[in-house]
Amino acid sequence: MSMVRQHVVGKVGDIAEGTCLLVSVDGREIGVFNIRGKYYALPNICIHQSGPLCRGIVSGTVIANAGTHWEFQWAFDGEVVTCPWHGLEFNITTGQCLAFSHRRLRAYQVLVESDRIILAV
Amino acid sequence: MITLRGEHNDTVTLRIIDTDVHIQDDPQIWAPYCDMPWRKALEQVEGIPGFSLGPHLDPTFPGGMALRRDVHTPAQLRKELDELGIDTGIIFPNYLLALSMLPHREFAAAIARAYNAWLIDNWLGEENGLKGCLAAAPQDPIDAARQIERYGQEKNVVAVFLPCAGVHPYYGDRAYDPIYAAAQDLGLPVVLHSVSVVHPVFPFNLHEFDTNLARHALSHPLSIFANIVSMITSGVPVRFPNLKIACSEAGISWVPFLMWRLDKEYLQHRIEVPYLQDKPSTYIKQFYFCTQPIEEPNDAKQLVDLMRFFDGENHVMFASDWPHPDFDHPNKVLQLPLSIEGKRKIMGENAVRFFNLGHR
Repeated sequence: MSMVRQHVVGKVGDIAEGTCLLVSVDGREIGVFNIRGKYYALPNICIHQSGPLCRGIVSGTVIANAGTHWEFQWAFDGEVVTCPWHGLEFNITTGQCLAFSHRRLRAYQVLVESDRIILAV
Repeated sequence: MITLRGEHNDTVTLRIIDTDVHIQDDPQIWAPYCDMPWRKALEQVEGIPGFSLGPHLDPTFPGGMALRRDVHTPAQLRKELDELGIDTGIIFPNYLLALSMLPHREFAAAIARAYNAWLIDNWLGEENGLKGCLAAAPQDPIDAARQIERYGQEKNVVAVFLPCAGVHPYYGDRAYDPIYAAAQDLGLPVVLHSVSVVHPVFPFNLHEFDTNLARHALSHPLSIFANIVSMITSGVPVRFPNLKIACSEAGISWVPFLMWRLDKEYLQHRIEVPYLQDKPSTYIKQFYFCTQPIEEPNDAKQLVDLMRFFDGENHVMFASDWPHPDFDHPNKVLQLPLSIEGKRKIMGENAVRFFNLGHR
């Protein structure tokens, strides 16, 4: 059984909004994102061919479903990271892969305490 | 080199040969190698008119798709291949993938000559694992054959690149015999390589499709289909029995379908193709197939099972297609449930045999 440990990865202000800080924790590369002032963390390894996912561009995406009457709609603005290798997209706030409904990355917990950003791994 | 855990928990090191990497060949860079008057023409244009790497009318989708990756120098390519664990890379062009689209015979031949001279001068001079292919302009097979005779034994020249985008007629046409004769004489293999374009010649008449997904999915393999069928029906593998032929950037899962489909047709129509001494699949099994874009079924064993139908263990060669957006990391192919021996062959040894790398 593994213990969840807390790691201070920086101070509030170290990670600009819409960007990602790559940290190495227990041999794992993790990207800590600031999305509109909230922090999220994902593994920096794509489920497809292990590309450096968190180095991808943070933007939104295009959706079309019954809710949009099958029209294209811009969605998840500022919440989607696209793997720089082959373009697989993930919602940063949930880890959900947009291409495969059943694939979701492990989303690590990030806390802010007294101005410190703490990653729970 | 990539190191794996062997079948007896030992450590196994594999030589990785990548049969498809691409360099950025902006026309201005190799214009100085071009004969007049085309040199002057190239100096005056941005890109080559009508010479596109894809339809420019598509919308640019918003979102995070990465910017284009290009390779500009041998040092950059060497460094990036090192990072991927690749020992040897076989260089193909970017712009000249569409060489076969150019309608003007002299212009196309001059461009191929300039590219070949530039490639040899700037990319193939060192013993650093970078190898290259001579571009053959299908518009002028006699000139292409002369290029093969002129440069075929240059250091690090390992194959002839046959561009397939919009090529007309297909590569089984007798007009190309001089290319095959020259390549066979020097022991140089030929590699069919397509690119996604929209063009009247099958299978590039893709104007029905409004997505790159559809056009890209269909153009590469169907272009290879068209050219293999053409080469088989005109007896190229029979008439040039020592010519080695590979197909690049079309994946591999379709090979059994094409073999069986042609074998079925052959039963009824043999009289049209009397060059053939045996069923078409006999000859297709002599072709080599580059992996990229490797199919990724949920159960990777299904792909390995398919490979058995065409002796894939001895005829499939790893290709990454670096630095293109659909490149495959060597690990994706190494993860296939093959024996260590099978991995050794597909990741390197088959390419050593195909490109004669043992003594080059």
